[in-house]
Amino acid sequence: MSNNTFNFSRFVKLFRQHMIHNQKLMLFSIVGYSGMVFIVLSLAQLANDLEAFDPDEFLGFMIGFVAVFGILYVGHSFPAFRTKETTITYLTVPASAFEKFVFEFISRVGIILVMLPILFWLVYHLQGYFFKWLADTQFVAVGFAQIQPEITPEADNLSWIYVIVGASSLLALILPFTGSAMFGKQPLVKTLFTVALIILSFTAFTWFVLDPLGLQNYRAHDSMWLIPTTELAALRLFGIGLIVANLTMLTVAFLKIKEKEV
Amino acid sequence: MIDIKNLHFTYSKKQPPLFSNLDCELQPGSIAGLLGKNGAGKTTLLKIMIGLLFPTDGQIKVNEHKPGKRQPSFLQDLYFVSEEFTLPSISIPDYVKANSGFYPMFDGALLERLIADFELPETKSLQKLSYGQKKKFIISFALATKCRLLVLDEPTNGLDIPSKAIFRKVLAGSLSEEQLVIISTHQVKDVENLIDRILLLENGQFIMQKDLYEISSKLNFATSATGEGDDILYSEIIPGGYKVITPQVNGSSSVDIELLFNAITQGGDKVKDHVK
Repeated sequence: MSNNTFNFSRFVKLFRQHMIHNQKLMLFSIVGYSGMVFIVLSLAQLANDLEAFDPDEFLGFMIGFVAVFGILYVGHSFPAFRTKETTITYLTVPASAFEKFVFEFISRVGIILVMLPILFWLVYHLQGYFFKWLADTQFVAVGFAQIQPEITPEADNLSWIYVIVGASSLLALILPFTGSAMFGKQPLVKTLFTVALIILSFTAFTWFVLDPLGLQNYRAHDSMWLIPTTELAALRLFGIGLIVANLTMLTVAFLKIKEKEV
Repeated sequence: MIDIKNLHFTYSKKQPPLFSNLDCELQPGSIAGLLGKNGAGKTTLLKIMIGLLFPTDGQIKVNEHKPGKRQPSFLQDLYFVSEEFTLPSISIPDYVKANSGFYPMFDGALLERLIADFELPETKSLQKLSYGQKKKFIISFALATKCRLLVLDEPTNGLDIPSKAIFRKVLAGSLSEEQLVIISTHQVKDVENLIDRILLLENGQFIMQKDLYEISSKLNFATSATGEGDDILYSEIIPGGYKVITPQVNGSSSVDIELLFNAITQGGDKVKDHVK
């Protein structure tokens, strides 16, 4: 117990505490999410003359569900910060700020990326086989091989495209995660509002300031990283920018726990 | 155990400081009563002691730790019972299973005894208990952690009259010499005969930090037919006479904390000067 930064045994205790305190909530969440997936898939199939979904539709539905429910779930991270009383209890639990941060990240963002797709896959098959049994429709089981996206860009750009897709997906979850560490009440609404405000400000700045200045006519040297002149350089800059944004947001979330006063 | 030197604290730069040059030293083996009027800063001081608020300036050490760092080795040796608190919707055994592991000296047998003393019912959910029962449970859990520092903010709020007596009994009977308990309250009658040191907070300063035996060796608390006289340092009218404080002349008397509190906060410097 002497390590005040990270101790695995303490981390396990945090995990156990979370599981025992929130067992009902987790059960209801799983049932709620699965039920919603089942209903939406059923309605979509009914609206489509009971025709079974193909792997592309499976992928589309899965991304949609994981994105919507994922952002909703991650947007309510650090539930203890919603009231003063629970914040006091949370901050006085004998674990380090780093352990609490890592645990929250894994139990929110990590679980989204693993649990929600698996649950979706299970319910998708349950719903498919149910309709097949009920209405004698066609149903084709979907395996991992069938849902690999078909991306065929130039070989040079491929790795950066993967980085951008991965980092931007992660940022979509990390932003509400950080927002819920920053805002006590209505964290998801405030995060979305803040992100919208930043995007609007940036767009307005580009529109009203950079455009009239004629910066688009500026021809930069090829070696300048921050003003890319090739597609690869642009992808590289954007990819690195997203990684930095993710790391910055995670640092902000960690500092919010460490410096939280109540 | 607790060492506070030149502590300054302000909630914002625009506001006047709540505490300036606050000094305090508390040793284990005692129950300290932190008393003060509403808004005197009792809860704020407790929060600074346990690291929920950070001092603006000055030094504070609790169990050789800086509380603001909130290190696990510090937190595992303190338990804070807040005036307002929430409990999860789980049973008592589940709560114990989930939380006792964080406290190395947790005593399960003691918890069972305290739960029996408080006559807490078996329940599938702590949420189904009344506010007073929840409070009794959280106090029992706090005592069972055997933490060296127990901080109780208004612990008797919400307790019925028999429970207040049980509270005093279990608190006095469950502590060891290595433990320090700080009780913040404005219901001084509830902690009478329990605390052995008084910390009186007013206008950001401790206007009194004394052991009770020291006070009782210098002041006599009695009732009298008259409220005025050469030897009366302070008096308060009550039905049928007066409660008075006079200089101690023959040994000691039990301290009427409420009367002392009023005397110090309203009665001027006579009493204060006498116990210096």
